[in-house]
Amino acid sequence: MPRTVALELRDIRAVYGRVTVLHGVTLAVHRGEILGLLGPNGSGKSTTLGIAAGVIDPVAGSVSIDGIDRTRDPHRFAIRVGFVPQDSAIYEELTAVQNLEFFGRLYGLRGYDLDSRIAKALARSRLTDRSHEPAGTFSGGLRRRLGIAIALLPDPPVLLLDEPTAALDAASRDDLFADLHRLREEGHAVMLTTHHAEEAEQVCDRIAMLETGRLVAEGPPSELMRPQSSGRCVLFGHLDGSLPKFLERRIRRRLDADIGFEVTGHRVRLSAWTADELGRALALVLAEGAHLDRYRSVSGRLEPTAKAA
Amino acid sequence: MLSTVLTLAGKDWRLFWCDRRAATLAFVVPIMLASVFGYIFDRPTRDRGEVRLHLLVVAEGDSPTIRKLIDDLATNPNLQIEPIPAESLNPRLLDRRPGVAVVIPADFGTAVKPRIAVRHHPLCSLEARWAEGVIAEAVAKGVAKERWGDLAESVLRDPPFLLSVSALEEPHAKFNSYSHSFSGMTLQYLLFWGMESGLLLLRERRRGVWLRLRAAPMPLAAVLLGRALATAAIAILQLLTTFAFGYAVFDVTFCGSPFGFALAVIGVASLAASVGLLVAALGGREAPARSVSILAILGLAMLGGLWLPSFLLPDWLRDVSLALPTTWAMRLLDSATWQGRDLADQLPSFVAVMGFTALFLSVAFWRLSATERAARRGQG
Repeated sequence: MPRTVALELRDIRAVYGRVTVLHGVTLAVHRGEILGLLGPNGSGKSTTLGIAAGVIDPVAGSVSIDGIDRTRDPHRFAIRVGFVPQDSAIYEELTAVQNLEFFGRLYGLRGYDLDSRIAKALARSRLTDRSHEPAGTFSGGLRRRLGIAIALLPDPPVLLLDEPTAALDAASRDDLFADLHRLREEGHAVMLTTHHAEEAEQVCDRIAMLETGRLVAEGPPSELMRPQSSGRCVLFGHLDGSLPKFLERRIRRRLDADIGFEVTGHRVRLSAWTADELGRALALVLAEGAHLDRYRSVSGRLEPTAKAA
Repeated sequence: MLSTVLTLAGKDWRLFWCDRRAATLAFVVPIMLASVFGYIFDRPTRDRGEVRLHLLVVAEGDSPTIRKLIDDLATNPNLQIEPIPAESLNPRLLDRRPGVAVVIPADFGTAVKPRIAVRHHPLCSLEARWAEGVIAEAVAKGVAKERWGDLAESVLRDPPFLLSVSALEEPHAKFNSYSHSFSGMTLQYLLFWGMESGLLLLRERRRGVWLRLRAAPMPLAAVLLGRALATAAIAILQLLTTFAFGYAVFDVTFCGSPFGFALAVIGVASLAASVGLLVAALGGREAPARSVSILAILGLAMLGGLWLPSFLLPDWLRDVSLALPTTWAMRLLDSATWQGRDLADQLPSFVAVMGFTALFLSVAFWRLSATERAARRGQG
């Protein structure tokens, strides 16, 4: 059965002043899927999430949820997104119930419907016992759970979390991951940002790697982590412009048979058994006239980065 | 939209009451300030016999003429004299306890033209003039009696004119110092409340709650109107509580129509709400915004006649203060309370206050909308 796309970002471009922070990012998150946006600080993760949440406007491109375009129908779009900013974003003076009531009403919930949803949200977040305590007395983990409960109160198909594990201890982080897996089982599409590869590997079904505003790799963690299991070295690159088919065929002919060379849109994936072979393959690709403006080499883990000359 | 605005206002109302101690202080502090200011500046306006000039008297000699003059001064109903030795004069005057003194020379009564000195604290020139007149009157009477005997006595006892002195009062006006202090201090405190409400918005930004609000399905105007509504509602509650206390304890009167008072309450509460949004719009970070706002509010309070009645200010400053919202808000409250003006007389002040409110709200909406647009471009 084909999976349904819940959130779709197409060719998103964002500019802060004179700096382009996103260069045509295209992404889709399916129902029942957790997508992790992975990348170092300044790579454009939070901007991508902010655009998906409707709090940042792109200069080009489109965002839609269940086919509802953000620009054409912002109200219907907004009620389909649950957004949890980085610092939980709750009123610390109000109790958990008061926080849920307030945000629930903003999303048009009233009366019995609101009360029953609050009761369910509290139970699901394991906050029932502390529901009448000010949120300011909660630990970081409880605050995060309350923040997610607020976002999920209107039952949106898409949940967006900005650095959800920031300032959480290991136990709270494991709790959070268990909650996210449950949300996935319930059919929510979840997109989160992180700069920890292990976390992304642990919780995400798919990872999108961002580097200076460009999507340089995308796929399941098992695929992106393939170098570790297969022992091969991998390089993800971003083409500055599209690669003509004839050029792609010529490069493929000239590369050794055991060198992997895959081109998807502006993205390139090179793999080899050794770092030397990978370096020679990269040199050949560049010599043939393919312009890579950024690339990232992967050797078992996703952290190491390098800049194209 | 309306239900969203009410939800947002309800949240701010709840936030206000969450900190019980702060909420209680928000009602107690203006009452305390008004009571203290009212007590300090309490002056009788009806029984002029109680208003007497406190005058120090230094006699450099002890002749019968000097004693006679001192006796005349002591019986003068406009004076409260206090004979002191010469060495105590300067310290007492410098300390302004009281601010004016008369020094009677030893040759008074014997010299052809003795020099009677009136000395005063630098800030008491008016009292010195008053003392000068009273002393001249006393000396002239003494001389007249000495020279013309019974004729002078009869003329002085029954002068050929009548003089009456009274405070200006309108038919319904009933002034006491508490009337002014309760209006002034309450108004000042409401401006501070407006500022706090605006700072709360800046705090929401810092905590990230603003991001969640912006992601919710509602326009920015709803957020701002909700904040303004809650601020005004709490301001109305503060006004009513403070004036109820003033009425019950200090005889603060409401001589105008109830509708006129309601108009004043609405006008002043709206002004406080608009000041709050203005602080949120113009303030960047919370700490500097608070410092600048406090300075601005204290300046507006002082120049607008909230501490002391504006008629105590120099004429040029009174003209300048017409450009301030606090001047008109104070006029509005005064006209609705002790002045007992009718509705038509109140309208110019009400229109001016609402004009300032509209101006502040417009600037705040414009600026916050620009900030929001910048944030949506990732520059916030």
